[in-house]
Amino acid sequence: MSADSFLLLIVGGIATGTIGAMLGLGGGVFLTPFLVLVFNLPMHQAIATSILAVIATSSAGAAMNVERRIVNLRLGMVLEIATVIGAIFGGLTANVLSGEVLSRIFAVLLLCVSFMMLWRMRHSREVSTPIDAGVFPASFKDEAAGEVVSYSVARVPWVMCVSLIAGNISGLLGVGGGIFKVPAMNIISGIPLKAATATSNFMIGVTASASAFIYFAHGHLNPLIASPAALGVLLGSFLGVRINRRIKGEYLTWIFAAALFLISLKMFWR
Amino acid sequence: MESTVTRHIVDRWIGWTLRIGVWGSATLMVLGLALAWFSPGTLRLPSENPHPADVLHSLLSGSLDPVMLMFAGLLFLMLTPFLRVLTAVVGFAAEKDRTFVVVALVVFTMLLAELVFSLR
Repeated sequence: MSADSFLLLIVGGIATGTIGAMLGLGGGVFLTPFLVLVFNLPMHQAIATSILAVIATSSAGAAMNVERRIVNLRLGMVLEIATVIGAIFGGLTANVLSGEVLSRIFAVLLLCVSFMMLWRMRHSREVSTPIDAGVFPASFKDEAAGEVVSYSVARVPWVMCVSLIAGNISGLLGVGGGIFKVPAMNIISGIPLKAATATSNFMIGVTASASAFIYFAHGHLNPLIASPAALGVLLGSFLGVRINRRIKGEYLTWIFAAALFLISLKMFWR
Repeated sequence: MESTVTRHIVDRWIGWTLRIGVWGSATLMVLGLALAWFSPGTLRLPSENPHPADVLHSLLSGSLDPVMLMFAGLLFLMLTPFLRVLTAVVGFAAEKDRTFVVVALVVFTMLLAELVFSLR
């Protein structure tokens, strides 16, 4: 492993972490294709690396959001039961599948993510579930709006089902799964978008760690790859959040949705 | 008043656990990378991933093997969510919320089972 490779991994990690945070996708969606297509890394090693990056960014972001009480801690803990079960089965499944099969499943996932990115621009629920109409009542201060937002959670079993699937995708492919959980929490359960995003991000670290040791035990974690990449993605996620506050625009979403579409084709036929 | 003081204990504790996990693991990885950067010829990657007990032993013996330091950082990061859930168990207990002590314990038991099953 040369010094140049270390540098390229850190820079690649920063770039994928920045883009992931700007789009609210997390680093894994872009990191895995980067490692596979640029570094020619075996699919299982790329997924294991992505899982580590996901744990790092989730933990760093959740530390702030928990203290600001944007995270609905109790809902998160309940949904983690589903995501952890899904992730363990995902991790076990991934380790019996070939890299080629995983690469094709990942390509299909990227296709779904690119469509979800465009779909969620038009679909979100503005009115949250009233505080006395559901379970896990919570409130947080919305800094941007300068007001306290109170809500509760409706239809928990439905969101648990979505969380089970998101956890399975996380364990199988090393992504966070927030792109599926956040719209479900917002639209099905009536959780404000900010709280749904923060709660989903909070859960992702535990979900990812549920499959991390499976990959570790199978020898898929290369520290010379995973350390610089995870550090890069962590730095990139801080950068992405800052840039995101300044740049807003649908055109960014369109550009990266198109990029993901092309990457998915490349991953499918590589 | 008592409830407002004891409530949200768990939020603060979890926040600190996550911070310690992220920055502790990042420090170990940066140290490992820095050593590897200055002595790239001496890097020896084991044929398979070492057992966490061996990594801990290497760390406690004061060895500055870059690869082991990176492994230590990665393992610390992988264990951070475990610590976060364990902190939630203690935090919910301090808030006297028995239901969520049980919920957090269920999550922790599943994580622990996966860890033991994977490393056996």
